[in-house]
Amino acid sequence: MSQSLKQPNRLREGGRVDRARTLSFTFNGTRYQGHAGDTLASALLANGVDIVNRSFKYSRPRGIVAAGAEEPNALVQLGSTEAAQVPNVRATQQVLFDGLTAQSTNGWPNVQRDVMSLVGKLGGRFMPPGFYYKTFMAPASMWMTYEKYIRKGAGLGRSPMENDPDSYDHLHQHCDLLVIGAGPAGLSAAQTAARGGARVILCDEQEEMGGSLLDSRELLDHQPAAQWAERVIDELAALDNVTLLARTTANGYHDHHFVTLHERRTEHLGETAPLVDGVRPARSRMHRVRAGQVLLATGAHERPLVYGNNDVPGNLLAGAVSTYIRRYGVVPGNRLVLSTSNDHAYRAALDWDEAGREVVAIVDARQAPDGEWVEQARARGIRIITGSAVLEAKGDKRVSGARVATIDAEAFKVTGQAETLACDTIASSGGYSPVIHLASHTGARPIWNDEILGFVPSLVKGVHAAGSARGIHDLAEGLADGSAAAARALAALDLSAGTLELPQVDARREGATCALYQVPHEKPTLRGPKQFVDLQNDVTAAAIELATREGFESIEHVKRYTAMGFGTDQGKLGNINGMAIAARCLNRTIPEVGTTVFRPNYTPVTFGAIAGRHCRELFDPERYTAMHQWHVEHGAEFEDVGQWKRPWYFPKNVNGKLETLDEAVARECLAVRQGVGVLDASTLGKIDIQGPDAREFLGRVYTNKWAKLAPGRVRYGLMCKDDGMLMDDGTTSCLGENHFLMTTTTGGAAGVMEWLELWHQTEWPELDVTFTSVTDHWATITVTGPEARKLLAEITDIDLDKEQFKFMDWREGKVAEVPARVFRISFTGELAYEINVQANYAMHVWKTLFAHGEKYDLTPYGTETMHVLRAEKGLIIAGQDTDGSVTPEDLGMHWAIGYDKPFPWIGKRALSRPDTRRVDRKQLVGLKPRDPAVVLEEGAQIVLDPDHAIPMPMVGHVTSSYYSAILGHGIALAVVKGGHNRMGETVYLPMVDGQVHEAEIVSNVFYDPKGERQHV
Amino acid sequence: MSNSVAQNVRTFETHPEATVPAESPLAWSYHHSGRPGVSAKSCVVLRERAMLGHMILRGGAIVLDEAVRQVLGVGLPARPNGLTRDESGERSIQWLSPDEWLLIVPGGEEFALEAKLREALGDAHYAIVNVSGGQTLLELEGEKARELLMKSTPYDVHPDAFPVGKGVTTVFAKSNLILRRPDEQRWELVVRRSFADYLYRWLLDAGAEYAIGVEA
Repeated sequence: MSQSLKQPNRLREGGRVDRARTLSFTFNGTRYQGHAGDTLASALLANGVDIVNRSFKYSRPRGIVAAGAEEPNALVQLGSTEAAQVPNVRATQQVLFDGLTAQSTNGWPNVQRDVMSLVGKLGGRFMPPGFYYKTFMAPASMWMTYEKYIRKGAGLGRSPMENDPDSYDHLHQHCDLLVIGAGPAGLSAAQTAARGGARVILCDEQEEMGGSLLDSRELLDHQPAAQWAERVIDELAALDNVTLLARTTANGYHDHHFVTLHERRTEHLGETAPLVDGVRPARSRMHRVRAGQVLLATGAHERPLVYGNNDVPGNLLAGAVSTYIRRYGVVPGNRLVLSTSNDHAYRAALDWDEAGREVVAIVDARQAPDGEWVEQARARGIRIITGSAVLEAKGDKRVSGARVATIDAEAFKVTGQAETLACDTIASSGGYSPVIHLASHTGARPIWNDEILGFVPSLVKGVHAAGSARGIHDLAEGLADGSAAAARALAALDLSAGTLELPQVDARREGATCALYQVPHEKPTLRGPKQFVDLQNDVTAAAIELATREGFESIEHVKRYTAMGFGTDQGKLGNINGMAIAARCLNRTIPEVGTTVFRPNYTPVTFGAIAGRHCRELFDPERYTAMHQWHVEHGAEFEDVGQWKRPWYFPKNVNGKLETLDEAVARECLAVRQGVGVLDASTLGKIDIQGPDAREFLGRVYTNKWAKLAPGRVRYGLMCKDDGMLMDDGTTSCLGENHFLMTTTTGGAAGVMEWLELWHQTEWPELDVTFTSVTDHWATITVTGPEARKLLAEITDIDLDKEQFKFMDWREGKVAEVPARVFRISFTGELAYEINVQANYAMHVWKTLFAHGEKYDLTPYGTETMHVLRAEKGLIIAGQDTDGSVTPEDLGMHWAIGYDKPFPWIGKRALSRPDTRRVDRKQLVGLKPRDPAVVLEEGAQIVLDPDHAIPMPMVGHVTSSYYSAILGHGIALAVVKGGHNRMGETVYLPMVDGQVHEAEIVSNVFYDPKGERQHV
Repeated sequence: MSNSVAQNVRTFETHPEATVPAESPLAWSYHHSGRPGVSAKSCVVLRERAMLGHMILRGGAIVLDEAVRQVLGVGLPARPNGLTRDESGERSIQWLSPDEWLLIVPGGEEFALEAKLREALGDAHYAIVNVSGGQTLLELEGEKARELLMKSTPYDVHPDAFPVGKGVTTVFAKSNLILRRPDEQRWELVVRRSFADYLYRWLLDAGAEYAIGVEA
């Protein structure tokens, strides 16, 4: 590991870094030093690191191009340990901290010596757009093989293989005005709104707020612009109605002014959040903002010129050169050639000159530039070559020269002899593209503006743009625009804006910009050196030209064919140039070609920030019953039923070994059939129904009759959707003439509640009836088995005499001193009592049952045993034996359908359709495997002729299947075409392993067919 | 224990006469997740007010208002999302939906109160449902209580949007609950029994950075 302590490109003074604080960091295994206030990118440039990555497709060496979110090349993988790995971080956005460890994401085996670059050198002709599709997709079976190596060569970072030690957070925010971007327009906007008293959120993606003011040459109130910014930020920070969020990127603009802001809270401090008072604060936080109005002050991205080999390290954006010099005190080279189409970019040359390094020449595409900064450059004796552009960069791993010639931009021709200027840095500027990404997320198509040679956002209601974000690049105008936009936004909310005295800006004369995107070359685009448009996705001007020749005329198609603007880049640097090239090739104007849309996220967001605290134990709510602690303490295995945790089975320790599921279930089943068992049935949905029309309502939502159910009685009911298919089932008890307690399946509870409300509110509002969920109010304990009466009698004052308290009756009384309603209903086919008590007392009742139950060997059982017992009785589970295509008739439940009820209940009409009357519908039957040891697979397909040629006609499938301990053989429920008329027939179940099981179609009631046991 | 004041509806006294152990919905949570103590650093304090009487009132506002006024001495909240309390602050009525209110009273009062209300309401169209076993009430207090809520609910809890005397049913983490603001200091969360543990764990996790303490 070599060590470089020098920072050859660091200036002695200037910039906003703290030279007294030196930080060391490691990049690709080499240790370097930087200063507090650096980004990883500025520190790398200070150390003279040219190559930071290899390109995605051609594996060409790449250096840092930009200074912000638009950086296409410097994507790094952060993290010194496996757990701390973070992929796809832009070095330009990563603040330097002591000990930072980063690696290039591309390049194999490393960025200096790259195997894939061979492919890149042979390049152009071998890897045209569509190359992967055309070359590797056939034969299709080989793609997986190719892909492995392609991915290895062109990695885009990787996710960590270990648990993330950090935590993440969400914060829901609301405001009147969300201002995105804290540059000149954003600051004046926020100040205007804040002074008016509105709730304001101001966010900015950079480490420091201030935007372009932090590296501007211009003065505000005769002082450096950054000082004005500091004053405004101090004022805003002191106000209660303002939330300032630095290091916070607005990544997605969703519907109804819902904007997600990604705040990086500790990423500037270390790779893992440092402990504060023993608590690790959230590493990053997603602010979920619901804003009244949104103001986009997102500024502009400088557009590079597209010329030959414009990707060789040492080619930078002109503005980035200024930012590195003025903000970080770093000059990214020694000898500069600036290629520009506008005045503003001259600042790069002026800054470079002031930094004491050589400006070789300014190459200006305009014939007669004459703005103020142009004059300043001339006055300093800097050579200005007009009517010209850099055609091509020379060099391999670093720029070594620039070929310059006069051009005719309109005719797209080189008009003069090229001259080669020796230099190590080429800065270019083709103008400025407003950052319209967020406006684009709302679905609004950007509009081309010929005056600023860029797209400006079109804005949906409630969105405003100000300053550079809408093409107003002049500082004074931008400041005024921000303030005015804020006032407009507040007016839309009937709020008043505060008054503001804008700072004084010295007027500066600026000449017009000329339209230049792709620079012409002596050779045609397809033959000349590569001219990169989208550096991140390795899309060249030639690729776009080829795409148009191959017939891709829509810009959306060009994008997909070439990958321009894909991925994390989202077209920040390249899109406009790409459109201009497509327009040239198609002989259209840019607005005619149109634009692609930008999608969220603006820059990558970690999964942690998206997940927030909704992970691990808090991933999903877990619902517990009042007896949960007892279940845990008695070793229950749990099953998820909806969000409920229900005991699945209670394995016992037998001779030092824990029972398996099958062993435990067999024991639990026999206990219920021969003794007594107890089930926590609290999760069943319970709905309290009151009102004079309650009975009528029940008659309309259930298929069966409710008119004569007397208080004290219980009835089983079937509920259909309007298509006649079974939706849910359960028992409903008549508590009083106008008072019922409905039960639903555990998973169906919320759906049934909504269903009742839907029909009541939309179809039958005239019915006087109300529904209230009491699922959580009552705990339900089912005591069942031949010994149930004896056990219950010990702890209740209710008369359990079988003549007094019959099957399908309910009674009130005390159980274990606690007031209870006891329902004599059975899901096991045995004598059964369901005890409802107020949930706070349920644990006491449960424990009392066990205190008395010991002598009866009272056995707790779970959902698996419940399933077996009900299947032995042929009782269905809605959602397991039905799937939304099964009618009550299919289930053989004609007895539960009241066709002659006076009011047409839900589903009645559908049950008279020819399709639902067919006799060959799939109908519920029992299956008894011929081999008693076989337990059929749930979901297994049923055929009538196992020797039929494949594909065999399938006539049904198994819906439930278990081993029945009491019967000593496997049992199954199944749906079979015309099954009700096939009793006694043999069917076959071919399995994946080639075995074919044989089974007999039998009644679905396997045990106690006369149903005597539940009546005892 | 049962009563049929309005003949057609079966009311029910759920509380035993004998002294019987009762468990709040958070009994398991205290056992399993513990109760971080309240310290000088605690910027949020969580307190459960267990075993209260919770009742749902359904019906027309005018009729119910009269009956409630007669029985409790305080009327229904005049506006949607309103919360009113009696003078002692022990009994509250909250608007839940256009024909639905939540009544919270000291535990044990609910059965007698229901009888009185039914008597006052006579033949009117209404429903009263006791849901006391199904929910519990949590209080949050402290300078960071509002920020803790912001981590949890999309509802706007800024004092301008959520003044004292307001209550809403809203999304909270991946569950939902009733959120209300009885006075300047406190927030109240009415949570369903089966979701209580999840919400308790959520509050402890989200509140860790504020040194959340749980008052016994």
